[in-house]
Amino acid sequence: MEVLIAQIFNGLSLGSIYVLLVTGFNLLLLVAMIIHFSFPVVVVFSMYVSWAVMTATGMVPLGILAGILSAIAVNVVTAPMFQHIMKKRGSVDINATMVISMGMGMIITDILSHTFNQGFPIAFPDALTGNDKGALISTRLISISRGQVLTLIIGVIFVLFLFWLLYKTRAGRAFRAIAEDPNGAKLVGIPLLKTGLQSYALTGILGGVTAVLMAVLLGSASAGLGDQLGHKVLAVSIIAGLGNLKGGLIIGLLLGVLEAVIQGYLAGSWSNAIAFIIMLIVILAKPKGVFGSSL
Amino acid sequence: MAQNDPILKIKNLSVAYGQVKALTDISIEVLKGEIVVLVGANGAGKTSIMETVLGANVPVSGTIEFKGKSIGGVPVDKNVRNGMYLVPEGRGVFSSMTVMDNLLLGAHHNLKNADSKLELVFDSFPVLGNRKSQVAGTLSGGERQMLAIGRALMSSPEMILVDEPSIGLAPIIVNDIFEILVNLNKEGYSILLSEQNVYKALKIAHRGYILETGKMTKHGTADELLNDPAVREAYLGA
Ligand SMILES: Nc1ncnc2c1ncn2[C@@H]1O[C@H](COP(=O)(O)OP(=O)(O)OP(=O)(O)O)[C@@H](O)[C@H]1O
Ligand SMILES: [Mg+2]
Repeated sequence: MEVLIAQIFNGLSLGSIYVLLVTGFNLLLLVAMIIHFSFPVVVVFSMYVSWAVMTATGMVPLGILAGILSAIAVNVVTAPMFQHIMKKRGSVDINATMVISMGMGMIITDILSHTFNQGFPIAFPDALTGNDKGALISTRLISISRGQVLTLIIGVIFVLFLFWLLYKTRAGRAFRAIAEDPNGAKLVGIPLLKTGLQSYALTGILGGVTAVLMAVLLGSASAGLGDQLGHKVLAVSIIAGLGNLKGGLIIGLLLGVLEAVIQGYLAGSWSNAIAFIIMLIVILAKPKGVFGSSL
Repeated sequence: MAQNDPILKIKNLSVAYGQVKALTDISIEVLKGEIVVLVGANGAGKTSIMETVLGANVPVSGTIEFKGKSIGGVPVDKNVRNGMYLVPEGRGVFSSMTVMDNLLLGAHHNLKNADSKLELVFDSFPVLGNRKSQVAGTLSGGERQMLAIGRALMSSPEMILVDEPSIGLAPIIVNDIFEILVNLNKEGYSILLSEQNVYKALKIAHRGYILETGKMTKHGTADELLNDPAVREAYLGA
């Protein structure tokens, strides 16, 4: 029982990371109308930037700031490429955006594996992860780190903030209107390009915060992490129903818990394979996603 | 601006979608305080006129003036801010969003006054007030049309473009909707209406324009058109 509770806790921390990534992915899909499955790669890039600044200056807060700013910068700088396609077409043709995203992912992954730390995995300083202070709770069977608690708390707060923004604010209303019917939204005076740009900036902030949380939770990163997360985020989004924000929230948390429980009771290294087998079964049973696609 | 000044003045407007010519040399005026109806069969160009006025289409040639100023090249959101709003063909409500959210979308550029506007809308359409947290997808056709009109009112428009409101509605509901339009007009809103329900539309309008495949064939006061033998034969089955 103790192990189960601890693993569920672990899973929720990991799951909140998935939820943040999936929500960012879904927002870009719904509002900016791009399939940006390399969004997690951008997030890992920000982890690297954050790490580089921390190791160069020794200042953790500066590293955190740099990580968040870099995610916003990458998003806003690449926006014109995506927007260019968006302007060119009247209807939604998402395929071209997928190619841009794929190319971006490859380039960033290559940069990460050739430049930073000579391509070796990076480890974040204890001052960020709090690992030197030992676990927060530890018994004979389990241990819960400060990082896990912090990620879960901030993750939950940020997810709540995101959903508040989406469902209770003017910008969120415009996001959802465009998500449902871009042309209809335009006809009632919602500016598509400007609102699309806002969604880029928002997902940039989201990506930056997620990068920092991942640094705290995982304590390390490697160049391949972005691709791995990219696959999971795409899988979660499709299983929940592409573009289904609330579905992504639930499936993201479930995947985190599932992986953690598998790790707690079975061989940890198989958690990816088992999780994907389960997801495969779900998608075979529910091709349009558990909660239905909103596209 | 005085009564009888044109609030909307379309001159020699031509619109094409690629090679497809949708409108040729159309000139239309809506005076302040008028209901003007565009009459025409499917594909005549009613929606094209409305969407071009709104700024969603770029015309090939011609000029459009709104409140005395040219609005050529002005995007939809600017025109909305400036006092025009579309009640789209097929209502265009966002079915996954609540009635409240749909209404607030109308006030997107005017949120300061949203609360007082909401009160007015709920006064005119109690059914919307009773269902404000219901998603719009669950409303009936008539309720959706009211929502689309309510959403337009939220933007504090001076001119409302209403594109085929009667489509898909039972005759009795159509009467309700037209009565709503008449009342709005009495409150001072100028209305450009498009309809295939020609008789009922001309009954509530001050003037009308007849469109045939992108060209304007006739215009006049509603009475003139109602009594015109050619119009009667083509559109009124008499
Ligand atoms: N996006 C578009 N691309 C190509 N052609 C279009 C487009 N929109 C309209 N058209 C064409 O322009 C012409 C006028 O269409 P429009 O929708 O304005 O007519 P309408 O009077 O509103 O018809 P309805 O009563 O069916 O709504 C039609 O021939 C139509 O096929
Ligand atoms: Mg039409």
